[in-house]
Amino acid sequence: MSVRRIIAVLVISLIVCQGLLHGEAFAQGNEDIKKELNELKQMMEKMQKRIDDLEEKNSALEQQAREREEDVMVKDEDVVVKEETVTVPATPSQGAPQGFLSKVVQSLNPEISVVALITPTWYSLNDPIVFAHNDPENTGVNMQEIEVGFQSVVDPYFRFDSFFSFRTEGVELEEAYGTTLFSIPLNSQFKIGRARAKFGRINQIHRHAQNFVTLPIVVAEFLGEHLNPTSVEASFLVPVPWYLELSASGGSPDVETPTFGRSPDANNLGNLLYIFHMANFFDVGESLGVSLGASFATGSNASGPDERSNLYGVDFFAKYRPLKNNPYQEVSLQSEFMWRQAETPEEELEDYGFYVEGMYRFAKRWNTGLRFGLTDTNTPIHEEEDHDHEHEEEEEDEHGHDDMLGLLGRAYRISPMLTFNPSEFSRIRLQYDYLNQNYGPNQHAIFLQFQYAIGAHGAHPF
Amino acid sequence: MKMYKSFPGLMLFVAAAMVMLLAGGSAEAKVRVVTSTPDFAAIAREIGGDKVDVESLAKGYQDPHFVDAKPIYITKLNRADILVYNGLDLEVGWLPILVTGARNSNIATLNSPGNVDASRFLTGVLDVPTGPVDRSMGDVHPRGNPHYMLDPRNGILVAKGITEKLSEVDPENASYYEENYRNFEKRLELKIAEWAKELAPYKGAKVVSYHKNLNYFTRWAGFEDAGYIEPKPGIPPTPSHVAALIKKMEAEDVKLVLASNYYPQKTPRIISEKTGAVFLSLPTSVGGEDGINSYFDLFDAIVGQITSALQSKAGAAGNGGSMHNG
Repeated sequence: MSVRRIIAVLVISLIVCQGLLHGEAFAQGNEDIKKELNELKQMMEKMQKRIDDLEEKNSALEQQAREREEDVMVKDEDVVVKEETVTVPATPSQGAPQGFLSKVVQSLNPEISVVALITPTWYSLNDPIVFAHNDPENTGVNMQEIEVGFQSVVDPYFRFDSFFSFRTEGVELEEAYGTTLFSIPLNSQFKIGRARAKFGRINQIHRHAQNFVTLPIVVAEFLGEHLNPTSVEASFLVPVPWYLELSASGGSPDVETPTFGRSPDANNLGNLLYIFHMANFFDVGESLGVSLGASFATGSNASGPDERSNLYGVDFFAKYRPLKNNPYQEVSLQSEFMWRQAETPEEELEDYGFYVEGMYRFAKRWNTGLRFGLTDTNTPIHEEEDHDHEHEEEEEDEHGHDDMLGLLGRAYRISPMLTFNPSEFSRIRLQYDYLNQNYGPNQHAIFLQFQYAIGAHGAHPF
Repeated sequence: MKMYKSFPGLMLFVAAAMVMLLAGGSAEAKVRVVTSTPDFAAIAREIGGDKVDVESLAKGYQDPHFVDAKPIYITKLNRADILVYNGLDLEVGWLPILVTGARNSNIATLNSPGNVDASRFLTGVLDVPTGPVDRSMGDVHPRGNPHYMLDPRNGILVAKGITEKLSEVDPENASYYEENYRNFEKRLELKIAEWAKELAPYKGAKVVSYHKNLNYFTRWAGFEDAGYIEPKPGIPPTPSHVAALIKKMEAEDVKLVLASNYYPQKTPRIISEKTGAVFLSLPTSVGGEDGINSYFDLFDAIVGQITSALQSKAGAAGNGGSMHNG
């Protein structure tokens, strides 16, 4: 109550001060001053009225609360009389009185969350081979990503979710999209804006919710850190006995990815990026859930005006979690396979790859997992620079790596992992990566990733 | 340009989808109620009778904090007229994402006609933090303890709220719902008196529970909460905390150790063995055990198990014999 009064007084005095300053600066005729004073008076009157209104409202609310309290007491007494026993039911204690202001703040601010990934790392190579943007870059302590999220319902019709990915070198708008909340014919839903595309499974999962420190090679090589075009996506829930969602999106690949890019002939609708996805989910008993998906993406790859890439993917995920007896144990298996055709002015490339990861959660706070990932190509390209170039150029090469179309040869990586979650909001993850390439050196790496999440309670991904 | 040839295939894929979409969607007369946990489903069944189809997403033997957000739930929510959920952030980790995916304006936002946060019907909430809160206190619920359905009196309040909502959505059957509610209220009040009578001799008994989810029950029953096995909400017990708890329990003569049957049973069992208190693994939701099919069954089971445990304990103490614990 008093806080509000103080705020009101402050606001008024501020306005008065400002008004006086204005008055001084411009007071040339009495007319002006009079006019302004009048205005001020009116303003103050309005404010006073508002304060009175608010006070009235508040006392009405207090009165209501008091009445309710009395209600409860009366009710409890009733029960006692009826029972004629010794037990006096305890009155549920009243919740802490929530002030009018706190309610306003609670309802109008978006939910804010911050998740940090900080990873001490050791690589066996001096110039480490890193596949994805947000993988740890060097031996040392790496700031992998700070993800800041703002999420809220917009109005009865839309919600809006936005995520900013902060790294040492800059900020990326990871996602910013509106989602329709109202029923639309054909059980459809629209997502408008930049979003992680519905392509496969891992592309829809934020870094901090993934199971391993590094991104699978196939995903890094084909989709980049993530495939997040700015687009309009329509998805349909098909009324069948299981869960079947079909989605289609069209948009601009305004974030360069290895497979897709903005065509020089950008104003041609045919050169935009189109993504199609089918997701199925089956419940096999109450303990086992299986999800199967297929994806297709097609669009310009920016290697020439009419050069396109087609990317095909299938994904599989199964999770076994017995609901009785061992509620915190679960086993899951996840796999994705991708195949890419890409045209360049010189040739047609064909690359493919997959990963398989198994996870075992053996206690409420512990899990362990093993991942195997492989990429290979039918059309190996040749690296233009040699490996023993000067450091500067290597650095450039590394930065350009993400946007490179085509693969040099076969690479596979094996990654065992152990995770401890002190609470739902922090995580410590130890991982070892063994990388084998038939076109370059092999690499060992050890990661110890720390994750912190503050702010709004996030969703548990399935 | 040759790659455009893949487009016809796609069009076929989309067209097939459209056909399937149009094929679905039959009109049903019954009101479809989906609830987050089975307690609300049980009450909705009491009120709705044969005029409603009721389904709960979580099972009664499942920790309601950690339900998997299975996509199949989206299809259930997609067809719902009413969604009844616990609120107070109990389902925050799994329900919102499902509701968004459901594409259903009946339930999509807090303001939707069928979106029913049952905590709104309460007259009071326990354990609302009064001072500053942060997560060093564990997974605190800033808006208070969400396990209010374990106070049977709250069952009446929630039933009243559900009745109003059903009457709003299906006004034709309003009098039917109202009648079912009157009936339910009467039966539950009688039962509450009965349970209270059974529990009366043990008023003031000190109990230790695993998580704070039994607070509503213990407070209603007139028990005294002597401590929790979890050092902080959501944080599993540590040896030092358990040791301190055992000492405290011995000093204060705690008779009961309680845990929902979805919590780990090992530590409570060890504590009960060390202290001589009786350990009960309780069903804390409808469907929590075979045979618990209604809100009445639930409290019959909880009150029955607790009173018989306390009775046998009193008997054993009276005979001067040694204590036998489960």
